[in-house]
Amino acid sequence: MINNQEISDEHLNSFVDNELSLDEQSEIFNAIGRDEALKERVCGLRSLKEMVQHAYRNPPAYRVSPINKLNNWRPLNMLNMPSLSACLLLLLLGWGSGWIMFSGPMTTNTSKILSLFQASQSNDIAEQGNIIVHVSNSNPVRLQTALDETENLLAAYKRDNRQVQVEIIANASGVDLLRSDVSPYAKRIELMMAKYPNLDFLACSQTINKLQKSGVIVHLLPHTGIAASAVEQINKRLQQGWDYVRV
Amino acid sequence: MKILSLFCGTDTYQKQLERIRPKLYRVAFSWSHNAALADDLVQETLVKALKNFRQLRDPAQLNGWLFSILANCWRDHFRQHRDMEDIDALEECHCAIQTTPEDEHAQSQIVSKVWDAVAKLPVGQRQVLTLVDLEEFPYIEVAAILSIPIGTVMSRLSRARQSLKTLLNELAPQQPGQVSQIRRII
Repeated sequence: MINNQEISDEHLNSFVDNELSLDEQSEIFNAIGRDEALKERVCGLRSLKEMVQHAYRNPPAYRVSPINKLNNWRPLNMLNMPSLSACLLLLLLGWGSGWIMFSGPMTTNTSKILSLFQASQSNDIAEQGNIIVHVSNSNPVRLQTALDETENLLAAYKRDNRQVQVEIIANASGVDLLRSDVSPYAKRIELMMAKYPNLDFLACSQTINKLQKSGVIVHLLPHTGIAASAVEQINKRLQQGWDYVRV
Repeated sequence: MKILSLFCGTDTYQKQLERIRPKLYRVAFSWSHNAALADDLVQETLVKALKNFRQLRDPAQLNGWLFSILANCWRDHFRQHRDMEDIDALEECHCAIQTTPEDEHAQSQIVSKVWDAVAKLPVGQRQVLTLVDLEEFPYIEVAAILSIPIGTVMSRLSRARQSLKTLLNELAPQQPGQVSQIRRII
């Protein structure tokens, strides 16, 4: 016959969690009937267990965000292969026909944009070249690359006494580049603007509005312009014959 | 037919995962006491489960398998935030909840008291306690999920409940002193 003192906490927990065999359970039930203190220990453990269950029954803010839904994502090995093949075929067809139709002008334009920064250093670019640089990402490495390349370009033009107008337009998270309280390059931008009067920085007002709606107070760097919309500005400049570089 | 069932089976599998998601979230929340982090941990768990679904040989073990992935994700989270959390002291690590006026106001409620008490438990004890109490896993399965011996499960659980009892007594409002009864004096 066992009594309260002989039953360890671990054993009693096993009893509460239904981990004991029927014989062991009967033994404890008998002991509980004889011993009030043991009964109290068991009640205490049971009420603790119930309290924990109650406390986490409805955890707060369980809301699956749209991007966290599994329906939108499957690993490659789970995709339906026939559908995947059909999609790939369609994609190839589309790409092929597009390439055939626009191979001439597109190739020239694309390669020009891609090699724009490099070309500037080898003086291959036209005498009068206006460039709009689009920054839509707040990755510091990209921001630094954008500033480095723009500065190299402006320095090269200045050295050769050639005219160039450069606009750096930021939207989405790229606006961080121009926010005085967030930008890691505030001082550098200020120096660049002082050094190169032909360089302008513009922020997209739609992005600013979005940020302000979400409660973020946006302070832009001094002398930063605001464009009604980055896309509109880029489109306008492209129509005016500017070259477009996206960083 | 077997090949066809491979393709059809994936949808069923995905639905099963979605069904278990709230359970995973509840446990992840009880470990972290941070809704956003819990949601991220669950999402990471499910993505890993989808990627490695071929590793699950017995579909009956899906539940336990998912919780062991969750435990690994939680451990990885600590590793990634080594600068903030001491991974070597994981078992003894304490996670304090940041209190806000709203939290303080809710202190009077039993739910908040239990959250506070559970959050004060060492991580290892917290994991065992919640897997046993919330998901009612047998000790042997908890041992497999957390990759620890069953004896450790039992001792952690025992210490967890002991501490929880003490903490809840500490957090409970002091009992007012005996109010003297009004007696009629004839």
